[in-house]
Amino acid sequence: MAANGERSELQTVLRELARGLEKGVALARIYNDPEIFEAEKERIFARTYGYLAHESEIPNPGDYVVRYIADDSFIVIRDAQGQIRVLFNACSHRGMPLCRAERGRATSFVCPYHGWTFNSAGELIGVPAEQEGYGGRLDRSAWGLKPAPRVEIYDGLIFACLDPDAPSLREYLGGMAWYLDLLTKRSAAGLEVIGAPHRWVIDTNWKLPAENFISDAYHTLMTHHTMVELGLAPPDPKFAMYGFHVQAGEGHGLGIIGPPPHISLPPYWGYPEEIVRSLQQNYPSAAHVEVARRTNFLHGTIFPNLSILNVMLLKDPGSPPTPMLTVRLWRPLSPEKTEVWSWFLVERDAPSWFKDLSYQTYVHTFGTSGVFEQDDAEVWCGITRAARGKMARRFWLNLQLGMHLRPDPTWPGPGTAYPLDYAEANERAFLRAWCRYMLEERPKASRRRSSRRRS
Amino acid sequence: MVVVTEHLEQEVSRFLIKEAELLDNHAYEEWLSLLTPDVRYIVPVQVTQEQGVPSRPTSGMAHLDEDYTSLEMRVRRLKSARAWAENPPSRTRHFVTNVRVEPGDREGELKVRSNVLLWRSRGDEPHADLLSAERHDLLRRVEGQWKIAQRVVILDQAVVNTRSLSVIL
Repeated sequence: MAANGERSELQTVLRELARGLEKGVALARIYNDPEIFEAEKERIFARTYGYLAHESEIPNPGDYVVRYIADDSFIVIRDAQGQIRVLFNACSHRGMPLCRAERGRATSFVCPYHGWTFNSAGELIGVPAEQEGYGGRLDRSAWGLKPAPRVEIYDGLIFACLDPDAPSLREYLGGMAWYLDLLTKRSAAGLEVIGAPHRWVIDTNWKLPAENFISDAYHTLMTHHTMVELGLAPPDPKFAMYGFHVQAGEGHGLGIIGPPPHISLPPYWGYPEEIVRSLQQNYPSAAHVEVARRTNFLHGTIFPNLSILNVMLLKDPGSPPTPMLTVRLWRPLSPEKTEVWSWFLVERDAPSWFKDLSYQTYVHTFGTSGVFEQDDAEVWCGITRAARGKMARRFWLNLQLGMHLRPDPTWPGPGTAYPLDYAEANERAFLRAWCRYMLEERPKASRRRSSRRRS
Repeated sequence: MVVVTEHLEQEVSRFLIKEAELLDNHAYEEWLSLLTPDVRYIVPVQVTQEQGVPSRPTSGMAHLDEDYTSLEMRVRRLKSARAWAENPPSRTRHFVTNVRVEPGDREGELKVRSNVLLWRSRGDEPHADLLSAERHDLLRRVEGQWKIAQRVVILDQAVVNTRSLSVIL
């Protein structure tokens, strides 16, 4: 009975929020509420695509990494035949995690509890005392490791979804795929992850960083003012304003920023000429080349918790502006704790001097110690803390930035593009998508698939 | 080759204690003066691997990978009122122990290992973050003073439990 009461209160809050978003306001309590967090695990993270790994992290047969979708641990492994498998990291016998390293190479996994053994494809290949204990009646083929219900790969990016009825990843990405191509298709050789991801824990609700990356160019003028002071960013505190704010649909979005007025910045993020030539040949359309030509900074989020950042910064004040690419996952641990996974990527065939410079630019500006990232963490921790109490239950936050803007009809990419990146349209769209999932209204593509299945 | 005497061990310990005091007092510019111009300061990402894989991190990624120029930049940043990660400043306490001194490969250099426990407290949150690490330093005698020519900090955590590494280990 109590559960029903709580549930209906949650529905009321969500409907109130959905109405608020139309006016450009959002309730602070969604950023720190145990009940909402539990519902998110069921309604968001069990139904959307979660990012796990990049193919380049497991290049050879037997290579594996252990990754998570919210609470669930998966072994992401390239099997003996070279196929990528995503296997629930729990023995099919009694549920003990089989793999307790973060990465490595294995031909098989042996459970420390009773010794059940599985090969790299997840098949059960060994059971101690099988004849005596099971009398020849154990059907090994029925007791392999449980694969993630859906596994899909987009240009090397490996995703899984716990909902077997989910739409395809391509459908799920919608217009965002066009923009992902700007990052993944610069080279025919593709991207590679360098080293292990940074992993650290921030006392923040996971939505705050996801929303920051999808939408918030505005904060750079204040939160990241020291970057302008030090000369790591262009000498205009409003440098992140001069761009396009793009709603890519289905809760995904990004900002694409060029040079500030009266400041000359190199085209194509300042990538070396080898990569510029390569993107001109490899991009799927002339519109991609045109958008890339006038881009220096790109930030975005793939709903719900995978963010992308491809920006031209300086590793120190004496160095040339250098582009770097990071993807980061905001793994929810609790209403007020998020584990950040931050990967650095670069074109596999980029010159080695560039890989080194881009790596240093990444480490100095983003990641655990990054001089940009440090100050973001401070803000997200603060908001999460402010959202903890009773005041936050009736505290409406202002998401009205850029509500006066009209879309640019000449924008060459999919979605809706506003001609100024100082906007919160993407945050509003993110939270509208969040509300739809939380109210258990299936996204259109998924409904179609389910109805096909039923008919 | 330097001969490691008890006296030298004491001198090195005193140097590391003085360094920790400068860091805990946020005297970062003075701290910079303890570094050689060719200093490298690296905090590799720690990765949990099966037994038998080398215990030193082989992750190919670092939390910090710095030279003098970038450390000086970080110090300059901390002086700004808008370096929000450290304004108000964290209260830190470096506990430096288990100092081990060996001769370096070159004249006037020492290989020094030490353990460090770093307590970091921010604002009025009652909990604090604790980081534990082994430091591998290369000290060089420059004009009669010991300077840090290299520091590699091997963290004892795969997942760092502090909101940002805006502090120096």
